[in-house]
Amino acid sequence: MIIAEQKPLDEIMEMISGVEKLLVLGCRGCVAVCSAGGDKEVGVLASALRLGRKKAGKPIEIDEETYVRQCDPEYLEPLKEDGKKYDAVLSMACGVGVNFIADRCPGVNVLPALNTTFYGANLSSGEWAEMCAGCGACILHLTGGLCPVARCAKSLSNGPCGGSVGGRCEINKDVPCIWHQICDKLTSRKQDQLLREIVPIRDWRPSGHGGPRRRIREDLLP
Amino acid sequence: MISGSNLEQVLISGRFAVTGELGPPQNGNFDVVRDKARILKGHVDAVNITDCQTAIVRMSSLTAGLIALAEGVEPVMQMTCRDRNRIGIQSDILGASALGIKNLLCLTGDHQKFGNHPQSKGVFDMDSIQLLDMVKTMRDGKKFQCGDEIKSHEPRFFLGAAANPFADPFEYRPLRVAKKVKAGASFIQTQIIYNVEKFARFMDIVRDLGLHEKVYILAGVTPPKSVGMARYMKKFVPGLDVTDEVIDRLKGAKDPKEEGINICVDIIKQVREIAGVAGVHIMAIEWEQAVPEIVSLAGLSPRPAPRRVDPRLRSSEAIDLIVSKAKEEAKAEIEKTLEQAKAEAQASRDLVLKEKGKITSEVSNLKRQLEEANAIADRKEAEIGRLMKELKETRDGRVHVRSVRRSVSDDADSALSSCSSRALTSLRSGLEALRKGLGINEDQLEALKRLFEVELLLSSDTAEQVTATFDEAPVPVERREKPEADSRHKEVVNLVAKGNVLLHKNDAAGAVDAFERALAIEPEDQKAGEGLKKAKEALEYTVSLEEAEAPAVPEGIPPCPEGMSPEEWQRKWVIRLVAIGNVQLYKGDVDKALKSFKLALELKPDDEKAKAGLLKAESGEAAGVPVPAEPDAPQKAEVPSSPVPKIAKVPEEVKTEAKREVPVTTVPTVIEGLTVFELPKETGTLSEREGSIQENLFKESCTGAIREISLGEGERAIRLGGASTLPFHLFEGDMPHVPQIAFGILDSEPEDWPDVLSKYYSDVFSDPVAWAKKCIDHYGAKAICLSLVSTDPNGMNRPSSEAAKKAQAVIEGIDVPVVLWGCGNAEKDTETLREVTGLIGNRKVCIGPLSDANYRSLGATAMAFHLPVVASSPIDVNLAKQLNILLENLGLSLDQILMDPSIGAIGYGIEYSYSVMERIRLAALTQQDEKLQVPFICNLGREVWKTKECRLPSDAHMGDQEHRGVLMEAITASTLLLAGGELMVMMHPKAVALTEALIKGMV
Amino acid sequence: MNRLKNNSYQVGKIVAFCCNYTASVSTDTLRDADLIPENLDVRKLPCTGCIEVSALLDAFEQGAEAVFVAGCRSGECHNLSGSRRAEKRVVYTKRLLEELNIDPDRVEMFFVHRGETQPIVDAVRQMTRRILKLGQLHST
Repeated sequence: MIIAEQKPLDEIMEMISGVEKLLVLGCRGCVAVCSAGGDKEVGVLASALRLGRKKAGKPIEIDEETYVRQCDPEYLEPLKEDGKKYDAVLSMACGVGVNFIADRCPGVNVLPALNTTFYGANLSSGEWAEMCAGCGACILHLTGGLCPVARCAKSLSNGPCGGSVGGRCEINKDVPCIWHQICDKLTSRKQDQLLREIVPIRDWRPSGHGGPRRRIREDLLP
Repeated sequence: MISGSNLEQVLISGRFAVTGELGPPQNGNFDVVRDKARILKGHVDAVNITDCQTAIVRMSSLTAGLIALAEGVEPVMQMTCRDRNRIGIQSDILGASALGIKNLLCLTGDHQKFGNHPQSKGVFDMDSIQLLDMVKTMRDGKKFQCGDEIKSHEPRFFLGAAANPFADPFEYRPLRVAKKVKAGASFIQTQIIYNVEKFARFMDIVRDLGLHEKVYILAGVTPPKSVGMARYMKKFVPGLDVTDEVIDRLKGAKDPKEEGINICVDIIKQVREIAGVAGVHIMAIEWEQAVPEIVSLAGLSPRPAPRRVDPRLRSSEAIDLIVSKAKEEAKAEIEKTLEQAKAEAQASRDLVLKEKGKITSEVSNLKRQLEEANAIADRKEAEIGRLMKELKETRDGRVHVRSVRRSVSDDADSALSSCSSRALTSLRSGLEALRKGLGINEDQLEALKRLFEVELLLSSDTAEQVTATFDEAPVPVERREKPEADSRHKEVVNLVAKGNVLLHKNDAAGAVDAFERALAIEPEDQKAGEGLKKAKEALEYTVSLEEAEAPAVPEGIPPCPEGMSPEEWQRKWVIRLVAIGNVQLYKGDVDKALKSFKLALELKPDDEKAKAGLLKAESGEAAGVPVPAEPDAPQKAEVPSSPVPKIAKVPEEVKTEAKREVPVTTVPTVIEGLTVFELPKETGTLSEREGSIQENLFKESCTGAIREISLGEGERAIRLGGASTLPFHLFEGDMPHVPQIAFGILDSEPEDWPDVLSKYYSDVFSDPVAWAKKCIDHYGAKAICLSLVSTDPNGMNRPSSEAAKKAQAVIEGIDVPVVLWGCGNAEKDTETLREVTGLIGNRKVCIGPLSDANYRSLGATAMAFHLPVVASSPIDVNLAKQLNILLENLGLSLDQILMDPSIGAIGYGIEYSYSVMERIRLAALTQQDEKLQVPFICNLGREVWKTKECRLPSDAHMGDQEHRGVLMEAITASTLLLAGGELMVMMHPKAVALTEALIKGMV
Repeated sequence: MNRLKNNSYQVGKIVAFCCNYTASVSTDTLRDADLIPENLDVRKLPCTGCIEVSALLDAFEQGAEAVFVAGCRSGECHNLSGSRRAEKRVVYTKRLLEELNIDPDRVEMFFVHRGETQPIVDAVRQMTRRILKLGQLHST
């Protein structure tokens, strides 16, 4: 899922400095699951902003709302009109939600409450890690299902660099060397032949370096 | 042969190859690269030029490589994937090839996190293996990475790669070498080897894979410079295995550098024995000087003469040639300039000499003149001596000659100023002329002489000692003989000086007289004109307090002086007459006053002031003018004399004696029915008196202390606060400054003061300056609190500018500390107090009250002028604290603040005030509440005197009204003192006396 | 406590979230003895584990100068890890306060053994001292 985290409060306070009526709008999609923008987080953020503004001597009126998703047009329908009642709508969805509101609800001043960080998995309660870079050209079949594009600091294609020590990445002892894991996995599966083959230089166009990406499935188009 | 580089040739020839390393500088210094290259030249077969190693920005490897090449050292250009994408890399490769670089080491590159730009975006468009593949394809396939053909001049490089035998997973490392070989590497340089044993195992696998036959492996070595460096590498460089043996060897070594070189040589010898090792790569990081020695000790020198190292760019010899040519040119240029400068310098030196001669002659000329002047002065001095003698004879040998002589003898060394000597000459001739011309009697002559002497002294710097009167034997101007022009001018100067002195001594009428006399002689004299204006103003404002003889009422109008229109003269004369009339009236001489006013009205029948004066005089008001209330009449004598000297009619010596007689006590007199006592002081300390009781049972020391604040300036400044204990708990702590009392005065006549209070001040109600002075001179006030009640928008609503001027007059008229207390209307106070601060310049008055409504604007003003302020809040601890915090946030220091907690009089909520003040003080002293560690000001007089109890008349039930009021004020004050008050603002002189006696008794 | 009770005038409101099993028993005891300062607002929770960050923030928003949570001591929680969760939320709240430029010392977690009153007294004292040190959060 998409992982996001709340922006620092001072940054949000700055963002809404001129706002007197605000809607904090959560999303029950990915950001709710990763505890960044669900109902609970909406409540906490709204409380914090009220307190911060009261302390600054500029009380603010805040409504709280959470949509099922902010990335599907049907859920955004009510916001088209309701959103205009507010000086700003502070979206607690990922960047997709913020963009989609900006696209779909003209006249609504939408602001981001979160930094959208990566595609990741929930390692344990309260801990998430990046697993995919959305590069558009998956090679996981060659790497034992572990992605060197997302999980290697240098996005290497042909094995661990000289900084891999004890299974750890050179940039940080807390980061595992994914290529070490790939080596171990392929060796144990007797697929080590894959390690000897040169993976050719990548085509980065599908990963976004070819411009904004769009997917169309003809059979589903209206 | 792939590229035909020297390195390739050495390796192919089968000789044990040696490569070095050259780190480009973090600047654009050509010489650094060249010097390093020269050190390595001839000792290695090729030199690696690093590409921003450890991701720190440095000169590019291509550029530095070219510099090395120009020195005849073959570069191995390093190329990383961190900073360029495939477009940039291929472009650089084409350039390097064009300029003759033949070896390329392909690396992925250190992560940008390690360098000095960790914020940068790492490119990593490809990895090192893909890079090798790309460059090989360019060379062998004559194709760009995209597949486009390179039509000619394809880059031909001898390609290398890196390998780290010590990184993990170990088993994979040889496989990775194989991959690199497959991708195009012809030689491999390894990570620094200290753990030879592990490297040997790595080589075993390499050989097993048959790689040693496909690729030249150069073993990486580095001489450790110190134990510290070895430890650092072991700890912080990922994938570097420094053995304990190496560290131990360095630790035990006498010369760690030498030992480092030995270690390196040993390792080279060991790896050379390992099959498949084709050479060494010596990385002497920032220690290139060690390389020749290592190569030599390892038995690897001499190196084969390099072949085919032919730079496409100009060699350094050629550069040197150009440089030396340029140097010669520059030298010639400099010499030419120098020659020119020298000639100029000589010319200016000549000029200076010429000037010097001129000046010398001028100086000697001046010296001669000076000597002449001195001679004249000496002659004059002799003459003065003679004159003095004469003077002494003509007088009965009293005071003044002595002072004259003293001043003469004081100045004897430096010779009398020509002014003084001229004046004395003119004095002499003037006196003689007078005696002859007028036949005046002996006494008059004596008086005249004295006057002149004194005036002469006044015009010199000794004036301050002279207090003799000037009014004796006034010389009517019209009777005076016409003196010669010079002495006439002197006369004017003397008169102006006299006028100024008189003005300074508050004798405005005398001053007016003096100035007018001066103007009569010299109507154009500017100083006299200015002085007259000032004196007249002063005359209008001040009412002389002294018993000086009233000036005689002049008969008729004197003749109009030259240079003044008759109208103007008449107008001035009228003003003077009115002034004289007013003085007379004040003195109680109604007849003379009437005469003055009538004379004035004759000249100017519609003069308002004269009319008013006449009316007053006629209504006999003069008699009613308070011969100020009885109680202070006897007091006056005992109150210490004011520091402002008054005009006295006594000669100097007598006056000094009189001064000595003034008693020094500050306790006012006994007031009828109310004994002002002196409290018997405790003689021993509390612990002595308590005897058996342990001190810790009654003693509770405080941890906090009240801040100190200074009010006013100069000798009469007072300091408040500083207490580190509860009020008067002197057995527990210190109270460095005793509480003080300020007299509260108003800037307009009070409307509702009871008689028993106003009788002390009614004579000065109309003039706050006189009021303040009365408080100071008669009642010994140590501070004044001027309430600007007239500005109250709900009352008189006097404009701020007007009120400010009055306040300014008070502030400038007295020298004790002043508290300016606004009317309580936040906006108006801001306006008025700002106006005042603009007028008074550097005088430090305390301004207030600052409330939450105007603390910003007034706080800023106080900050700008460094003035203390009164922070006023409605009886509440938190509000008081909050206001202090707000003021502090504004930038004011707490040392500038006096807290006004808003107080009530006794019977009018004093217990509330007491409680709040006590809590504030406890918080400040025992709870370290810093924001409350500020002294209190209690403006209590106004609260007390508006109570009902102070207004009810005397009767049998309530007793004497005045005693009642005095006690109410004194008890209110003592209560607030016990609550911690530091500055009391009070009104009744008796109440002040009582309170002062209490304070004296307590400390 | 008597001193504290009297000093409440100058520190403003303190909100205490108390565990129903332990801390609340203590506050009830204190209340019976009329020893609860009038500026202390005790709010009972079935378990401090259910305290929400937003509730802590709201307490400040509604005028509290300081807020604390009093839960069970480690190992004594009726719901095993309730007070441990509460502590983490207090820590998270501290971070939010810091981002709002409010001193994180204004919120604190305390652990109280059932029946003990002293830790509550100490907690109130400590929070009072902190308020005095930090000054007023809300202008009056």
